[in-house]
Amino acid sequence: MALLEVKDLTSGYGELQILWGMNLEVEQGKLTALVGSNGAGKTTLLRAIVGQLFPWQGTVTFDGRDVSKLRPYTKAELGLIMVPEGRQLFTDMTVQENLEMGATPKHSRIHMDRNLAKVFDLFPRLRERAKQTAGTMSGGEQQMLAVARGIMSEPKILIIDELSLGLAPVLTLDLFQALRRLQREEGTTILLVEQNVRMALKVSDYAYVVSEGKVDFHGPSSEVENNPAVREAYLGI
Amino acid sequence: MNLDVLIASAVDGLLIGFVYGVAAMGLTLIFGVMDVINLAHGPLIAIGMFGVYEIFTYVGMNPYLALIIVAVVGLAVGVLVYFVAVHRVIDAPPLSSLLSTFSVNMMIIGVGTAILTTSAYNVDFSLPSLDTGPITVTGTRLAAALIAVGVTALLYAFLYRTRSGKYIRAVANNRQAAELMGIPSTRILALAFGIGTMLAMTAGGLIATILPINILAGGTYELKSFVIVVLGGLGNPLGALVGGLILGLIEGLVPVFMKTTWVPVLEFGLFILILLVMPQGLFGRKES
Repeated sequence: MALLEVKDLTSGYGELQILWGMNLEVEQGKLTALVGSNGAGKTTLLRAIVGQLFPWQGTVTFDGRDVSKLRPYTKAELGLIMVPEGRQLFTDMTVQENLEMGATPKHSRIHMDRNLAKVFDLFPRLRERAKQTAGTMSGGEQQMLAVARGIMSEPKILIIDELSLGLAPVLTLDLFQALRRLQREEGTTILLVEQNVRMALKVSDYAYVVSEGKVDFHGPSSEVENNPAVREAYLGI
Repeated sequence: MNLDVLIASAVDGLLIGFVYGVAAMGLTLIFGVMDVINLAHGPLIAIGMFGVYEIFTYVGMNPYLALIIVAVVGLAVGVLVYFVAVHRVIDAPPLSSLLSTFSVNMMIIGVGTAILTTSAYNVDFSLPSLDTGPITVTGTRLAAALIAVGVTALLYAFLYRTRSGKYIRAVANNRQAAELMGIPSTRILALAFGIGTMLAMTAGGLIATILPINILAGGTYELKSFVIVVLGGLGNPLGALVGGLILGLIEGLVPVFMKTTWVPVLEFGLFILILLVMPQGLFGRKES
């Protein structure tokens, strides 16, 4: 059974409907990519999954439980963690404090020291900057911290919105590799939302292509990568 | 001009300035965390005054012990006010929370006036004065200042050293992100409002040990708190303490040179000047 299942989900803002019956399954231990152009409804879908937005119809099932109506902090406690678009760090707090705030869910709080060592190992730069105020770091370092803060919560699923946005390609590659390592070594399930379709398909196991608030196409990433329609629309080949 | 008088007045003003600082910290903490300007601040200060007065007068407890009770009750009162009046308008436009906290203000003043009338009360308590040659420092004033410093240190230790305190800073910084990390923001906002109220009532209790009180007196200190908060930078507790000292100093020194009635004129003149020249306050950050 899938760890996260989205079924016939519709939602939007006020009168404006964005999601028109989304269906999505994220398998335990896999790195799943969600790709699509701007305005396809990717971020809206994530907001509905974590509870920043309520579903109008349909359900979100996580770990065998209907979580459609739960608030974000309750879902975080269950192990459903999102690294939001634009990082959303606690910019006035230090790097170390941001990481401590990541270790809020009870199951992660008791392992805080171990997890700190883990993220510092994954991102050595953060160890050097531990006492620095988060808002004063470069964009790339901030994105590292946002991901690291998510890892500190010991997520069952880590959802990452626009990992590569505004980052240099080299840095993006580093971050993708760190995620890959996390998935392989810790078995963390990851749902990655990306505009950089090429890279997302390369690094993921399974992929969903969405447009206009619906899933267009899904399959193992290698298949999606070779799909002629996808190649034409997103990879420019 | 007598130098001794000048020094004595400055010291007196500075000492009460610490207490003003604590009152202003309550106002600025609530604003910094949830962008709510608490117009019930003054009446809450007054409840603190009468808390100490009633416990001291009718139970016979030492006013400083009474202050501990007042502080704890203050936390509870603040949490109650948050859930009754603030939570439902927390995401509404600012006018809503102004109106709702002003309603709390009117309710407290209404009930308070009915029970206590607006006449002055006095906590009949004194400590030995400290005599150091030219200046004599009133014992209760010195004690109040020391307690105010202690309260400030405790507030900082709480905000920077404890998990709950860090949650308050995280929610103040980015409420949505805090929720995504599993921080229950509603509970944290209620706690922050509770602590802000606790600071207001503690300041009120300290004032009661120094000066005569009445149910409307809180209003005066609320206005002072606004001046201090603007002076020290909105949302900055340490700035509030320094702002309190500056205001205390003005209050101490101005009467040496001119009529006491000029004090509020100068205070609010300063208020407007700061708003015009450096609206981020002396220690505030520029809005990013």
